[in-house]
Amino acid sequence: MIKISRRTFLKASALAGLASSLPLMMNFGDYTKAAELAPVTRIPTMCNGCSSTCSKYVYVKNGRVWKVEGNPIDLKSSGRLCARGHGMAADVYGLGRVTQPMKRVDDNSFEPISWPQAFEEIGDKLYKIINESGGNSVMWLGHGGKEHYANTFLDEIGSSNYVTHYATCFSSKTNVWDRMVGTTLNSDFDNADYMLFVGRNFAGGIIPGAMNRITKAKERGAKIVVVDPRYCELAIIADEWVPIRPGTDLAFFLGIAHTLISEKLYVRSFIANYVYGFEEFWSANKDFTADKAAEITGIPADKIREIARDMALNAPKAFLDSGYHGLHAHYANSTQIAMMNVVVNALLGNMFKVGGLMPGASISLGHVETPARETPEKGPRADGAGVEEEYPTVEPSRGIPQIVPDLIKKGRVKALFIYHYNPLRTAPDPEYQKGLKDAELVVSIPVDWNETSLHTAHYILPESYYLERTEPPKVVSGFIAHDNPQIAVRRQAIKPVHNTLALLDMLKGITAAAGYYNLYPFTVEDEIKASVKPLGISPDILMETGCIEFPANVKPVFPTKDGKPALNTFTGKIEFSIGAFKLYGRPGVATWVPPLVMPQGEDEFRLIHGKQPWHSHNFTGNNPYLMAISDKYNGTWMWINKGRAEKLGIKNGDLVTISSEKAVKTVNVKVTELLHPDCVWIPSPYGGFSEKLKTAYQQGINYNDFIPARVEPLSGSVMGQEVVVKVSKGGIS
Amino acid sequence: MARFAMLIDASRCTGCNACRIACQMQWQLPPERYYNRLEHNEKGTYPNTKWEITPIQCMHCDNPPCRDVCPTGATYKRTDGLVLIDSEKCIGCKYCMVACPYGVRQINYDGIPEKCRFCAEYIIEGKMPPCVSTCMNEVRIFGDLDDPESKISKVMAKKAVYQLLPEKGTRPRIFYVRK
Ligand code: SF4
Ligand code: SF4
Ligand code: SF4
Repeated sequence: MIKISRRTFLKASALAGLASSLPLMMNFGDYTKAAELAPVTRIPTMCNGCSSTCSKYVYVKNGRVWKVEGNPIDLKSSGRLCARGHGMAADVYGLGRVTQPMKRVDDNSFEPISWPQAFEEIGDKLYKIINESGGNSVMWLGHGGKEHYANTFLDEIGSSNYVTHYATCFSSKTNVWDRMVGTTLNSDFDNADYMLFVGRNFAGGIIPGAMNRITKAKERGAKIVVVDPRYCELAIIADEWVPIRPGTDLAFFLGIAHTLISEKLYVRSFIANYVYGFEEFWSANKDFTADKAAEITGIPADKIREIARDMALNAPKAFLDSGYHGLHAHYANSTQIAMMNVVVNALLGNMFKVGGLMPGASISLGHVETPARETPEKGPRADGAGVEEEYPTVEPSRGIPQIVPDLIKKGRVKALFIYHYNPLRTAPDPEYQKGLKDAELVVSIPVDWNETSLHTAHYILPESYYLERTEPPKVVSGFIAHDNPQIAVRRQAIKPVHNTLALLDMLKGITAAAGYYNLYPFTVEDEIKASVKPLGISPDILMETGCIEFPANVKPVFPTKDGKPALNTFTGKIEFSIGAFKLYGRPGVATWVPPLVMPQGEDEFRLIHGKQPWHSHNFTGNNPYLMAISDKYNGTWMWINKGRAEKLGIKNGDLVTISSEKAVKTVNVKVTELLHPDCVWIPSPYGGFSEKLKTAYQQGINYNDFIPARVEPLSGSVMGQEVVVKVSKGGIS
Repeated sequence: MARFAMLIDASRCTGCNACRIACQMQWQLPPERYYNRLEHNEKGTYPNTKWEITPIQCMHCDNPPCRDVCPTGATYKRTDGLVLIDSEKCIGCKYCMVACPYGVRQINYDGIPEKCRFCAEYIIEGKMPPCVSTCMNEVRIFGDLDDPESKISKVMAKKAVYQLLPEKGTRPRIFYVRK
């Protein structure tokens, strides 16, 4: 750490526009003096430390970001921010940022180029590719966000290839809920009396507003049960931690459902009125008793029955949280797991009920009117999502990101735009993912020198940091039940520190250079104006407050039309049986599907992973503040069960070798009683291999190294925890 | 006169470290220096286990050994209870670091041992320390024990509390909720 004296600091900050990349360091005396000297402004904006995008205030002093604070109106933050929210604000001055457009000159080096040159060269290449191979050979691969910009471009050229990261995270959830319920529903933490969390650690994958509500619910006496192979951070505040054999959550849910049905604890009127396919489900699962579930999960049958009975007792003010990353992309049976989540909640009759699962309040934003354009017909999706002969039941709106190198090899993808996404570190098998660079044109749009940009991009176009840009407002929703709709906006807090641009300006430049004139005939200010127009508020109010709440518009009633159930499904009811699955020869209802692999030997473990409270998967791993926390608390260590470790002669802090067919790596271990014996657990932030991200570089290991790029056929997910690793004492010699 | 104190309900802490970094931002500390930390404690054997986390920072003791050993009077106790350091008087001898039984002092780049200062400049304006206000689980309550209407007074009246290392006779101003 370089140290600067107060004098240097004041000098540097006095030079307008010259931003030091060093954190400010002052002692208290200095701080007080500096604070007296400089006026402080407070600017409302939205966080980007994770995809919850909490509303927050940024305090700016001398043109520099000083600190951030949660916006109390916002549902997601409840006025409170997590460590990532603070740390990633400081990262605007991080040393890992790409500071201007870059062009690859050879395998290992890039040369800086100007924005006009970047637009011209990329535009030319794009023009040629579209002419020769058609617009459908262009793919947009992103972590999500600002889809409408990308889609305007893809529509114009006739490409259906918008691909998100969902398959590495939660695609079975969105796929299933959309088909079975026609929407997603959120946990009503404020009113529930019993909360069951399975594979969902709200204290690790943090939404501060959700945790705030969960701890308050506990305070008023709600019961919290956590089922997880790991004693996760949420288990700390739970009434009970129920460890489960990793990969067997589906059996647990089937056992719960069996208990509810066989003991007639389920809400029959709800099933009769609002559910289609109950009989089909029950006849397929009549034999899957709590005892059978106990055998598979290792949870005593009595415990399974007890949980089912307790939930029934508290219903409808009881829920099984609908979950997220943990169970919805990482097992061969993740699709069935998501289906069972719907089934268990429906059996409790808790949907559209206070204290159960409620729809998120929403409100319609306006859009900028643009002249209609003639657009070509789109080709089939390159990744086969929703395509008859390929992956017919995978949602085309999400896609299959992990197989893009194959699509390039097959010649389906010629030009690739990678936006705010780092598949080389967050998708399976980084060596395989390096094949992305073989497309004819690869443009990465990151903020930092992530692995994907460094190893595969032909051009790197750095986006301005989230504190340096203004974006159109969004409706705040997801995961937390709330009756009042909210909208929030991201507002620029400081001038860009480097030579970076907003995505909209990049796309204007590239598309114009490729011959698509005036594709984006608006500014972000126009968009903000148009967005709030139907809401009867002025853009200024929104920009001044950052987050606005509207009168409640959610009622605890099942949606009906003319007295009939009117969900956005074929029957209008909750569908226990999915027609599309049957159409393609799969069972329509959830039944037991065994995991793909099971550890057998003395040295074999299932490799599972999860979020650490102060990191956001891999995205935050180069942040010096967050990595200092990792250092202090041995955050990079892999967890192993104490009993299992002892048998292998492994002690706390030891170096071990961990191997699968894909990789052999060395890591320190935390030997603990807080983990199921069948698995080892790796926190997901680590294993950086971009030499340009010095803080992250070679810190810890990453689970993606150990898994091949596979596709779960129904929902397209990566099955990231279907891998057995061998663990032995000592590092690689 | 105010009597500032803090009440910590450690059973609510899930170890997110937001308190640490919010404080670092507030006081513009470098990444490796921090004024609050978490003590982790695992109990029992699988599957009957517990994971307990205790947030720790300067206790602003009423009988502070760090002050007593300071040869220059740099460490002093304010009338409202805050234990502070006058950096002009500090000679960097580190006696205070050795004397503090809670291990909360850290040397800054000027060679001065610093620590949590209960956000001295902030609380007198009625603002909450960031380690309090950022915590999603509302682990900490900060306030004035002389004000019976303050949240801390009200909660402390209802809950059994304890202090860390009472045998050292330091009389901390940080209280913990008994489980
Ligand atoms: S949860 Fe944390 S990182 Fe995510 S948006 Fe909120 S404050 Fe930012
Ligand atoms: S912010 Fe709160 S929950 Fe997080 S570590 Fe600090 S005290 Fe614990
Ligand atoms: S009271 Fe202030 S100085 Fe002390 S730990 Fe909290 S934020 Fe830091």
